[in-house]
Amino acid sequence: MKQWPLVLIGFLFIAAWPLLVDDVFLQRVGALVLLAAISASAWNLLGGYAGQVSVGHAVYFGAGAYASLVVYTELGWPPIAGAPVGVAVSLAIAALIGTPTFRLRGHYFSMATIAAAELFRILAANWPLLGAAVGLMGPPVPRTVADLSFLSPIPYHYLFLAVLVVLLTLTWKMQRSRMGYYLAAIRGGDRAARSLGVPVLRYKLYALLLSAGFTSIAGSLYAVMVGFIDPDSALGILISVKLLIIAALGGAGTLFGPLVGAMILIPLEETTNAMFGGGGTGITFIVYGAIILLVARFQPRGIAALWEAITTRRASRVP
Amino acid sequence: MFLEARGIIKAFGAFRAVDGADLDVTQGEIVGLIGPNGAGKSTFFNCLAGDAEPTAGTIRFLDRDVTNATPEVHARLGMARTFQVPVTFEDMTVVENVMVGAFLRHHHRAGAMRKAEEVLEFTGLSHLAGSPARSLGTPGRKRLEIARALATEPRLLLLDEALAGLTPAEVRLAIELVRRIKGLGITIVIVEHIMEVILSLAERAVVFHQGKVIAQGAPRAVVDDPAVIAAYLGHHMKRVRM
Repeated sequence: MKQWPLVLIGFLFIAAWPLLVDDVFLQRVGALVLLAAISASAWNLLGGYAGQVSVGHAVYFGAGAYASLVVYTELGWPPIAGAPVGVAVSLAIAALIGTPTFRLRGHYFSMATIAAAELFRILAANWPLLGAAVGLMGPPVPRTVADLSFLSPIPYHYLFLAVLVVLLTLTWKMQRSRMGYYLAAIRGGDRAARSLGVPVLRYKLYALLLSAGFTSIAGSLYAVMVGFIDPDSALGILISVKLLIIAALGGAGTLFGPLVGAMILIPLEETTNAMFGGGGTGITFIVYGAIILLVARFQPRGIAALWEAITTRRASRVP
Repeated sequence: MFLEARGIIKAFGAFRAVDGADLDVTQGEIVGLIGPNGAGKSTFFNCLAGDAEPTAGTIRFLDRDVTNATPEVHARLGMARTFQVPVTFEDMTVVENVMVGAFLRHHHRAGAMRKAEEVLEFTGLSHLAGSPARSLGTPGRKRLEIARALATEPRLLLLDEALAGLTPAEVRLAIELVRRIKGLGITIVIVEHIMEVILSLAERAVVFHQGKVIAQGAPRAVVDDPAVIAAYLGHHMKRVRM
């Protein structure tokens, strides 16, 4: 890749961000950008690379978030200990949902994922173990460092950055392996892929499991940082839509697309929320709608494609 | 027998697109499937490739029953195909498209890359290796489909109208390519309705009409067969035969 220096500069900037800004609000935005980048990069494994647009990833996010706080409320463990539990639950749900829904194509697949996710949201909203409609709280004051409950966003920033680096490295390796090519072939067309010997269903399932596992980790991290979840904030359809928009905005099926998308969308969202307060949730929807419209109309392949077009044009100008 | 299809029926509701067709292919030959539009040759072809499941009948390839096997299994056993309307992986480059095929037998990137480059060289696409596949026109896409199929290292190549929609000059180039593929020892079954292609390429022609095989043999002899002329031109043409 020719863009390595640029990538390095980008990561150094992200790593230095909380030290560059003094303001807690801006530090918090930095950590949230990274969390969104993890979630959207996880979605990207299935929605971007394999081209199976899931609008139900809130299930896996929610499984991670709930698992973290349930191990605290029921067993008194530090919330982060729930992350592996969340991953296990997510993989089970993914295998359960994936097998039948992958028989559907395009919009029908997307609609089935919405339905499945809503089912789990309603389940959580009525299940006392999960706090029903009220939700769950993490430790109000940190008992030990293991509770990962900090006032400053800085520790979260570096925790999230580490997870993101692991995820992107894994994605990069996947992209260059046989699996990466097979997923791209599946995105290009099931029928042609199968004729070349690609076991389509099996690879879709691999992508889903990988994607669900990491989305679940993102959910756990969210619950650890925020310390409070309810059915809407952990399992709501808005979460599924948000992951999709972030990835599509930056460029679905590209390594850094979701990170770029998060760097644009999250600051925008946090600023509108801060400006309009609690009543600003409506504004978020309007922003999402506007982004869907703009991306679909002008740049269906996201900012990454725009970047590619600019760099190749510059390259071809050289005689 | 290399490839053997017996009593293939493919029904859609009450309509039988293929109605009891047989086909034998021996190793190393080029067989042309011809017939007027709607004769059932493409449906039969899809049954051979594992893309459609026959309603009845059996297909054996290299002494294995592949009647109900999936396309993936067909590919693994050494049967590759192209599509009538090319299905190019648009987001990938030309060489990456071919690598997808090459990954079937080469599990590592370097090996798959080497195989893909070799196939691109053979099919004369080397100069386009790094271009986005979506920048190709119809002739390029058809050639890329063939390259991708060859990268799976098949023993049998099924070509579904691989030459349709090409200009006469491009057809000649494609015929030359198919001959060279045969030279590699790969058996070829080709569906085509350009007579010229069948006449110059196939060693044996099999004529479909209304889901049945009505004639087969040397292409020259087959096109002079009254039953074949009747199938193509209609019955009362028989009386005014030139």
